[in-house]
Amino acid sequence: MATARRTSRSSASSSYESYFEHTALFEFSKVINSSLDPRFIYSHILLTIMGKILSSKGMVIVEKESRHFTVVMAKGFSQDVVGTSMHIRQIPPSIFLVDKVNATKYPWVKFFKRLGVKMLLPMYMADTPIGLLAFGERFSKKKLHSREVTYLRSLANISATAIEKSRTFDELQQVNRKLDRKIQELNTLFDLSKEFGALLDAEKLIRLLEFSLLGQVGVNRYIICLRQGSDVRVAASRVDGPVPQAELLQTLFKLKGTTPVANLSASGVQNARDVLTGLKMALVVPMGLQGENKGLMILGERLSGNPYEEIDYEFLTSLANLAIISLENARLFKEAIEKQRMEDELLIARDIQKGLLPSVLPSIPGFDIAAANISSKQVGGDYYDVIPADNNRHVIAIGDVSGKGTPAALLMASIQASIRALVPLNLSLSELTGRVNDLMCENTGGNKFVTFFWGFVDPVAMTLNYVNAGHNYPYLIHADGSIDRLDKGGMILGVLKTVMPYEEATVKLKHGDLLLLFTDGVSEAMSHDSMEYGEERIEAVLKKHGCEPAQRIIDLLHEDIIQHADGAQQSDDITMMVLKVA
Amino acid sequence: MNEFKIAQREASNVNVLELKGYLDAHTAPKLEEAFQTLLKTNRTNIVVNCKDLSYISSAGLGVFMAYIEDVRNKSGDIKLTNMSNKVYNVFDLLGFPLLYEIFKDESEAVKKFNDKK
Repeated sequence: MATARRTSRSSASSSYESYFEHTALFEFSKVINSSLDPRFIYSHILLTIMGKILSSKGMVIVEKESRHFTVVMAKGFSQDVVGTSMHIRQIPPSIFLVDKVNATKYPWVKFFKRLGVKMLLPMYMADTPIGLLAFGERFSKKKLHSREVTYLRSLANISATAIEKSRTFDELQQVNRKLDRKIQELNTLFDLSKEFGALLDAEKLIRLLEFSLLGQVGVNRYIICLRQGSDVRVAASRVDGPVPQAELLQTLFKLKGTTPVANLSASGVQNARDVLTGLKMALVVPMGLQGENKGLMILGERLSGNPYEEIDYEFLTSLANLAIISLENARLFKEAIEKQRMEDELLIARDIQKGLLPSVLPSIPGFDIAAANISSKQVGGDYYDVIPADNNRHVIAIGDVSGKGTPAALLMASIQASIRALVPLNLSLSELTGRVNDLMCENTGGNKFVTFFWGFVDPVAMTLNYVNAGHNYPYLIHADGSIDRLDKGGMILGVLKTVMPYEEATVKLKHGDLLLLFTDGVSEAMSHDSMEYGEERIEAVLKKHGCEPAQRIIDLLHEDIIQHADGAQQSDDITMMVLKVA
Repeated sequence: MNEFKIAQREASNVNVLELKGYLDAHTAPKLEEAFQTLLKTNRTNIVVNCKDLSYISSAGLGVFMAYIEDVRNKSGDIKLTNMSNKVYNVFDLLGFPLLYEIFKDESEAVKKFNDKK
């Protein structure tokens, strides 16, 4: 009876406890599943169990990587243990006491023993261990009742589910964040490709590239260098120390693909590795275009301290390639513009020159006269003229302005204007030449000059009165075959103001005499092997064909020059004038 | 093309830049110019109010990075305020909260500058 009563009372109390335990488990489950914050979950698990078994020490250990377990929270133990990792091959299936466990089978348990852990409660998800709960001595020092063991196992199972859930959520969040970053990277590339495409200014392009490195990659030490042929130039840099020499950077252009600075010695650029390491550079990203490295982005460590990973290489390579295409386009565009500008200018120069040369030479009674100007690609500053003067006289002139293109053509125009204005002044040729020289000196400031030959042809007196201001000596070939070179005169025009008057000379012209004025474009016409045409050949043509008409002599000379040049491009104008006494 | 505007004003010795619109590769040079002007005149207590900033690209963030060192070397700072979630997300994604002080409201940033003195 007594026994029966006791049994019935015990059974009643047992069902009450059971009810209480179920309610508590339900509450516990509700609370820890209400949050995804692992710290909250760990803390609530510890407090609940520590309260239940009456122990002041508890610890949560979670599997971080396969079989690597890490202490993630400790209460009552020294906080130093948090973060400790250990390798755990095997875990007992259920709750166990540290003192009673097989130490050879579970060697890792001694770590907990040392800390004063008495009891370990494994947490299983299905049949896989995901962590451990560790507790110190109970205040009561009592053994756990079998009923308590069951209850703790239930708590452990609920805890395992909650921890796993929060972990999955965390992983998902990390994946999401990675995805967000990828999207951000793509946005950056898109943003840049839009802007790069519209920019043809290399400086602005580089600046944008810098902003992207700073903003997207989070690096604030870098060197961007570009290569053009064998010439390497640093386009932008932000480093603590001197920027490496071009020769050193040059060695990095043979790299294939993104390379960490630490691996540079394996690529045979030990020297560059040392210098870049000294500058705290971490990564070299080649900027490739059609299989050729046209530039390099050398990057320092990231401010976040996160090392560069393969996943970053993708973005950096895309960024580098995008930038180099745009930079190359900008360069080509600039080149094309420059070329166009130069061609336009040459066209203008050629127009000016052609406009200045007489389209039809005036005829001088008793003389046969012809002239030609073949301008080179760059347009030299050659000039010739025949101007009627008083008393049937005519001025013949030839000149060669230093320099090429429009500036030479304009100077030529001003000389022509001044001689045409001065000729009617009835001054001696010496004085006229002095005046022309003074005018030129004033206009050019002495940095341009002209070789010039001119003279008055007098068909009545049958004379040529001339001044040679530093020009190639014209040939006067007499009918009897003797040759005069017309060398009297003075300094080239435009260098110094006239101090010494120019010497003038007068030669007698006879029937059958032949006068050739020419520029150095004739005597120095180049062949492919850089041989000059030379005065000997001029003389030879004149001697052989001297009896031909003036125009024919010009043509024959020109043909002979063409034969000599054999297609070689001439850098100077070819100009000549032939005057024959009928 | 989306517009980007910067309004500048002074609030108790602090220079406030109010950004409005799209800050991307195209508009980044405008912000750069604003920072350069402030630096040149040694006005380095800078608050950037992002209330009306609707978008920021990494080129935009790059401008902040490009000038923060110069500003801090002159014992100033660039503090950011009033960001929308969308804009904050970009800053956060690229790790900027570690490098910059970001405040909910402009007044907090201004106060922080003045407390320092």
